[in-house]
Amino acid sequence: MIITNRLLSADTTEKVLNALESVPNIRQINLTGESIPKTINSGPGKGLPNNHSEHKVIRVKGKDIELRYLVGGFLVELEVDDEESLDARVEEIKAVCNATIEHGYSLQVGRYSKYKPTLHDYRSE
Amino acid sequence: MAAYKRQFYPGTTTPAKNRRRYMDPKVKLKKLRDVAMDDVVRIMGHRNPGEDYKSIHPPIEEGKEPDCPIRKLVTPIEGAKHGDRIRYIQFTDSVYFAPISPYQRAWMYLSRYRGIDTGTLSGRQIIEVRERDLEVLAKEYIDNETFDPALTGIRGATVHGHACRLDEHGLMFDAWQRYVWDDEKKEVVYVKDQVAIPLDRRISVGKPAAMSDLKKRTTIFRADGVDMRDDKEVTMYGLRIHKLRTLGGYQPWKVKGE
Repeated sequence: MIITNRLLSADTTEKVLNALESVPNIRQINLTGESIPKTINSGPGKGLPNNHSEHKVIRVKGKDIELRYLVGGFLVELEVDDEESLDARVEEIKAVCNATIEHGYSLQVGRYSKYKPTLHDYRSE
Repeated sequence: MAAYKRQFYPGTTTPAKNRRRYMDPKVKLKKLRDVAMDDVVRIMGHRNPGEDYKSIHPPIEEGKEPDCPIRKLVTPIEGAKHGDRIRYIQFTDSVYFAPISPYQRAWMYLSRYRGIDTGTLSGRQIIEVRERDLEVLAKEYIDNETFDPALTGIRGATVHGHACRLDEHGLMFDAWQRYVWDDEKKEVVYVKDQVAIPLDRRISVGKPAAMSDLKKRTTIFRADGVDMRDDKEVTMYGLRIHKLRTLGGYQPWKVKGE
């Protein structure tokens, strides 16, 4: 989990994502941040286009993605079997972040998604 | 008995001193920039510059007021005399060492002005005044030291952002991007009015202050700035109010000698 000290512009987000492409064993990346609406959603200007410079299409891994957030966090999911390769991947991710995120970040390693069945899964069987 | 001398806020630390300064009506606040009056009117978006003020009642001088002892006692403010509409300006203050925060804005406005209505919310502070008085007041508070281009926003709606991380240029987050960073001039420029209707011209509000300067100007106590607990008098004042309120609510007979 990478939490940046500043909210990143669309260009920086694009850079970080493209740089992370070089790291192997990444299963998926989820982004979090502050939502930027496409249109003005309340008040007398309701319905007008928002024209926010950071709400735009970025190109990641050859694909166009519409960025709807000012990104402040990357949840990078790794597919590794042992601690050794986990540490190696984390080091690589750190190197990528150091090179692309100017204002710093904090990085935490942990299990953020569900990895074993919970009570709910037994119930809904 | 000696005449009562008005007190404003306890404490010896910088935020405490700043709170006292902002609240004391005798202190003239420093003017840091000069945004033209017409531009202030444009940013607020209540009327076009040069347009007449709309009125909601005939001028008071026409003498159609009911006979009322209070009306005789109170001198009306300029806007009230003319029967202006009541309009607003709303400021959002970032938690990252903005020069002032909403609660102190309320204290400051109420301590310094007559004829205003102000409302405090967690990140923003609205002032409602008669239109022509509002314009004078708005210009004053955009020009003076309580405003920082990067950390104070003029936002009528969708004010979200005061507790968000800053963006890469150090500006407070705004989902409607009413102001943008001008990289050539290193200034903050308004491109939309306070309810995000595009402006027909770009209005510069100047350069943001350095963080070191803001830390000296702020009224905000923060663990990574001046911690409120480091100011004994402020802490004791908070505790005293807490104690009196609690006792007053549940065991009022225990409040003695206060």
